Amino acid sequence: MGGYSDVQMIDENGIRVDGRTAGEIRPVSINAGIIPVADGSAEVIWGTNHVIAAVYGPMEAHPRKIQKQDRAVLDVRYNMAPFSTTDRIRPGFNRRSREISKVTAEALESVVLTELYPRSKIRVEIEVITAEAGTRCAGITAASVALADAGIPMTDMVISVASGKINGVVVCDLNKEEDNYGEADLPMGVCANSGELVFLQMDGDLSPEEFQIAWDYNMEAIAPVHEMMIDALKRSNGGDE
Amino acid sequence: MATPPVPELLKTHLTKLAESDERLDGRGRFEGRDVIVETGVLARAEGSARVQMGDTIVLAGVKFQIMTPYPDRPTSGGFMTSAEVRPVCGVHWEAGPPSPEAIELGRVVDRGIRESGCIDMEDLCILPGEKAWQVILDVFALSDDGNLFDAFATAAMAALRTAIIPGERFDVGEDRPLPVSKTPMMCSYHRVGGRFVYDALRREEIGGGERIHITLGDDNHVHSLQKGLKGAFTAAEFDEIMEHARSRCAELRDLVNN
Amino acid sequence: MSDQNARGGRDGRGTRLVTPGASLGASEGRRIGHGVVENEGQLIAVKLGALIENEEEVSVIPSHTRYTPRPGDLVIGVVEAVQSNLWFLDINAPFNALLPMSLGPGKAEFGGARNVLNVGNTVLCRIQEVDETHSSVVTMKGLGLRRIDSGIVEAIPPHLMQSLFSDSNVLKSLKSSTDCRIILADNGRMWVDGDSKSMSNVISKLEQIRAMSRDFSSLESMVEILQTEVY
Repeated sequence: MGGYSDVQMIDENGIRVDGRTAGEIRPVSINAGIIPVADGSAEVIWGTNHVIAAVYGPMEAHPRKIQKQDRAVLDVRYNMAPFSTTDRIRPGFNRRSREISKVTAEALESVVLTELYPRSKIRVEIEVITAEAGTRCAGITAASVALADAGIPMTDMVISVASGKINGVVVCDLNKEEDNYGEADLPMGVCANSGELVFLQMDGDLSPEEFQIAWDYNMEAIAPVHEMMIDALKRSNGGDE
Repeated sequence: MATPPVPELLKTHLTKLAESDERLDGRGRFEGRDVIVETGVLARAEGSARVQMGDTIVLAGVKFQIMTPYPDRPTSGGFMTSAEVRPVCGVHWEAGPPSPEAIELGRVVDRGIRESGCIDMEDLCILPGEKAWQVILDVFALSDDGNLFDAFATAAMAALRTAIIPGERFDVGEDRPLPVSKTPMMCSYHRVGGRFVYDALRREEIGGGERIHITLGDDNHVHSLQKGLKGAFTAAEFDEIMEHARSRCAELRDLVNN
Repeated sequence: MSDQNARGGRDGRGTRLVTPGASLGASEGRRIGHGVVENEGQLIAVKLGALIENEEEVSVIPSHTRYTPRPGDLVIGVVEAVQSNLWFLDINAPFNALLPMSLGPGKAEFGGARNVLNVGNTVLCRIQEVDETHSSVVTMKGLGLRRIDSGIVEAIPPHLMQSLFSDSNVLKSLKSSTDCRIILADNGRMWVDGDSKSMSNVISKLEQIRAMSRDFSSLESMVEILQTEVY
């Protein structure tokens, strides 16, 4: 969080630097089946974010110590490509990526019917090709589409969106510029149909009222993104509805 | 890389196909897949390209950093290549530190470009002995259906040729195109069913033998060679593929330059 | 949940594609088929695929799936590892199958398993049993089960097997139109043998099918590709 700043990010009419209103998300487009050799794949282009997910499996879990006797494990790897940011990222181990991989796996394990595949693993590879702000949310969303594309049984698909605060105003889906001056960040992962949460993080400073607005903004963004996910899957799987 | 055993039937079939000079996907022995090159595909890179050859898809991104020149070459900039073959691109690539195969890929691509002298290192000097540009080339595999070498090398040159040195962002002058004076290109050959073929599919790589990578400059000068995997080849075999490499590299060069 | 059970008619037209989590209405009086679960009186799709609704049941034919072994399945396996008294076979499933010496193609002296079947060999076998974790034991005792020493094994999407080959004439005309010997195994693999030109014909047909395998509306074109005479 950049903390409080006197840089004006919202004008007197409530319009943000990129022309959006407070509750509006960036332009989103989603495509499925973009990696020919994967069992399932998807890309989410969310503002300038470009995130790719591939799914392989289920397959035998190796090494054996990661096997669960009663269910499959989701082997999720979130990674930022070296050229995904303005300053190049050196490839290799990274605590931030590890944490995001962990919470992403746990979010998706909440909807995947892992009990159907004991001792297996399902590999979920999330690669951030271009980063703007909100890559973890785009990653979870992309992974949901890729899992569905791979034919992995799941009770719901997860959509992830974040809201935050700039200049004391709560806004939905901060872009890079806004994020630099952000005073709070509330990313959530929501099941499209049940409305249940499977992913939640927050940092910064929000009053109870602000928190409620941020929460509501996120919830309102779920349905339109879900429609795009369904549309992407139908386009790549011959749906003619 | 996980290496499951090669099915004997695949090897036998590849040999049988070779007898009638055929290939798995109907291509001729020295016929490449269609190559699709797109540039400017990565918003955060100063130069970028996406290359697709059949089901093989790769990205290349060029970034710049300010470095202190090496003491023995105070007026020279730097060039570095790193190949990322992450498990996203195929079930046979595993997580973990870069495998020897990925490191070899990066180094062979790097050598061809470096040794061709296509980037004028002196031109990258900002302040002798103190400041120079370091060009960092990252090649990244999205989908591996064989011949990552050529896909990487082609994407690398397309990205470098469209790269802009970000002088303004680093407060060292204006933005300007990275001067790239030549276009070295790579052609790779695999022994499949006894003879060498160009632009192997993944199944041909699995069921095949040794491979040879040739990088040629604009004037057909040889800039890098690499023989990989177990196997032995004759001088006559090498002559034959070198002859093909000369014409194919020229075709690829036209594709990248335009 | 066996994907091979998911029956679909040959007519791909008018199918409705559903995505995981899609609500399929009240469960009362409807039987739950493949790819569908019940939650608090409501049916929910859990797989991406074509929704099939008839008097008997509601099910989803997945548009992509991995092979799940079932007892009795005819499968093509590749030997991955050899031990003194058993073999491990890759059968295109999440787990390798076990082929014990007693169910193998022949007796071997202790330590001689490799001489009977070696790593990289391809065999035609049958699933003998499957435990609850989908690990399976296969047998080569049975009519026609053997080591395969010629031809090639090609992939065919497991979820299409039923829809494409439920009419046995499709396989028959594929064999006669290409002049190849063909065995269709249940694990998404097809053995093809003939002269190299005939084999190339089949391989290119299968390549086309794989490219369109996710599109249910093209089931009929796929059948057509399989049956078309090649000149």
